[in-house]
Amino acid sequence: MLEGLGIFAGELVKFLTPRLLFDVLWSTQLGIIVGMLPGLTATMGVALMTTLTYKFEPSHAILVLICMYVGSIFGGSRTAILINIPGTPANAATTVDGNPLAKQGRAGEAMGLATTASFLGSAFGTLMLAIFTPVIGNIALEFHSFEYFWLAIFGVTICGTLTGAKDPLKGWISGFFGLLVAMVGMEGMHAYSRFSFGSVNLAGGIQLLPAMIGIFGFSEVLMVMKQPAAQVVSASVERVLPRFREILKYWRTILRSGVIGTIIGAVPGVGEDIGAWVSYDFARRASKEKEKFGKGSVEGLIAAETGNNAAVGGAVIPVLSLAVPGSAPAAVLLGAMLIHGVRPGPLLMVESPQFIYQVVCMFLLATCAMFVLGLALVRSFVKLLSIPREMLMPAVFALCVIGSYALSGKLFDVTVMAVFGIIGYAMKEMDYPVAPAMLGIILGDLLDNNLRRSLVLTNGSLIPFFTRPISLILFLAILLTVLGRIEPVRRLVGKAFGRSAQ
Amino acid sequence: MKEVHLPKADFVTSIVVMTLGGGALVLSWMMPTFREVGAHRYSAPGVVPGFLGVVLLLLGGVLLVRSIRSGGYRLGVTFEGLRAFFVSASIARFFAALFLSMVYVLLLGEVNYFFLTLVYILTFILAYELWLEKVPRSRGKIWAFAVGEAIVVAAAISLTFRYLFLVRLP
Repeated sequence: MLEGLGIFAGELVKFLTPRLLFDVLWSTQLGIIVGMLPGLTATMGVALMTTLTYKFEPSHAILVLICMYVGSIFGGSRTAILINIPGTPANAATTVDGNPLAKQGRAGEAMGLATTASFLGSAFGTLMLAIFTPVIGNIALEFHSFEYFWLAIFGVTICGTLTGAKDPLKGWISGFFGLLVAMVGMEGMHAYSRFSFGSVNLAGGIQLLPAMIGIFGFSEVLMVMKQPAAQVVSASVERVLPRFREILKYWRTILRSGVIGTIIGAVPGVGEDIGAWVSYDFARRASKEKEKFGKGSVEGLIAAETGNNAAVGGAVIPVLSLAVPGSAPAAVLLGAMLIHGVRPGPLLMVESPQFIYQVVCMFLLATCAMFVLGLALVRSFVKLLSIPREMLMPAVFALCVIGSYALSGKLFDVTVMAVFGIIGYAMKEMDYPVAPAMLGIILGDLLDNNLRRSLVLTNGSLIPFFTRPISLILFLAILLTVLGRIEPVRRLVGKAFGRSAQ
Repeated sequence: MKEVHLPKADFVTSIVVMTLGGGALVLSWMMPTFREVGAHRYSAPGVVPGFLGVVLLLLGGVLLVRSIRSGGYRLGVTFEGLRAFFVSASIARFFAALFLSMVYVLLLGEVNYFFLTLVYILTFILAYELWLEKVPRSRGKIWAFAVGEAIVVAAAISLTFRYLFLVRLP
């Protein structure tokens, strides 16, 4: 513990240079702007920023990306409060009480409360990141091929269940589709090109970043352009600084939302939006002022913003400890780390434990920058909301194109981006969540190598998949996740316990 | 949360998913096993894609059965319905964005990057502001803003990637 604090303090001092602090400020501010603008999501922002920072030093680039991530998840609250449109999906729960507060003429107060709640949530998530990453990393050192196989299946299953809340079957299809996409190209054991149909480009496989830019960037451009233009409501912004008394009144909600947000964030592929909704729901159930929820409840706003920002730190815990992303922007962050030669996963604790503390320092700096910038410059940056989408989106698409191309200088990657953009759009239109597909693309390699390795080790026997303790736990978790969403099973369980299933 | 289904869309996508799963299974079966060079049979490249193909076939099958039960097989495609779909304002906006973006992607590498990006951004803005959205601003202002943004964005992206990131532009 003390050794960890020592490393943390040493790493923090290294980051306190004027150049790095300047980078923290501009990248967090850019993140806030990206989050604010409807149609630009945190994932898109981090993905585009990855292409803009790939020539930077690894720790420098990752610092900028983390600032962008933290800033954009917070920035979306501005739009949610002022125009009732979540700037990023993570801020959807913020609209429920944030916008009614703005309509009551309390826009400034709502933004101040959202900023403080985001700061507290992010700080809590960062603390959990520092505490639990080494713990989970050490547990993960016990993982073998069997456990990694189940981890990949668990990732797409739980992600499919939670992101496809309306229809988990579609979430699972999306996840397994992503895993299948990851099979394209040369495999690691025999160097055989699968599903390449004689194409040299396909033999190289589907690169993560162009696919991600397509699914989260181009598809979003198409979605935004299809919708009618959003009407910007002019809201007066008066007092922004929140009252300490008001924040202190809801300390239980803040703590609860921080814990929930971090846990939800750490579940593979689920992300900040679910973290916010679950925190909001728990706050509503536990509140003494239930009747205010949905009509401008300060407690509801605080719960949603604490939850989504705590999920940011939570989402990075599995990235560092297991190389499995907790959310879509965290998946891009994982991709960026790999591009920069950092290899997250259980061995990170053994090979370079100081990197975990570097990431904690980066989160801490981004969180502080977000708080300061969130309370300052409110009036001037709110004006950015009036940029028409038809002026913003072609520039975004031009960045999607050059960003996909720049990584390896291949026009094929631009084609991948465009194709995945169209697939992503079609999936969204048909109500298929795209996050499980993205997680599947990331976990495909893990599944492929570890399933085959396990089968070779056991000569085809499936028994060790169900008898090793961690494997059994993961298998039971998958089974419960799937069975819990099958209607006849739920009815049966409901009858068994003497009540009808909801 | 209450589950919401789109039976017709589910019917169509279930067929796509099953085709994908079935195709993956067949192609995996046809992949070499490398046993002739002493490789273990479970290390064959087709093992995992085959497994994924089976899972997708099953999931697609469940979706198909569910959509048929909800009457999703009655697609009810009529000429009038298609016409109404294609003349709607949102579909026009979607296809305009898709068409312009695809033309941009297809011409990449064929035309000077700066010029292509400039024309793409200019056309995009003008198509929406003058034709699809009919923004209440004078034509002169719309043109001035569109040309200004197109030049600034195209130049900024080209210069940044060419000289700062040393990328050979397409």
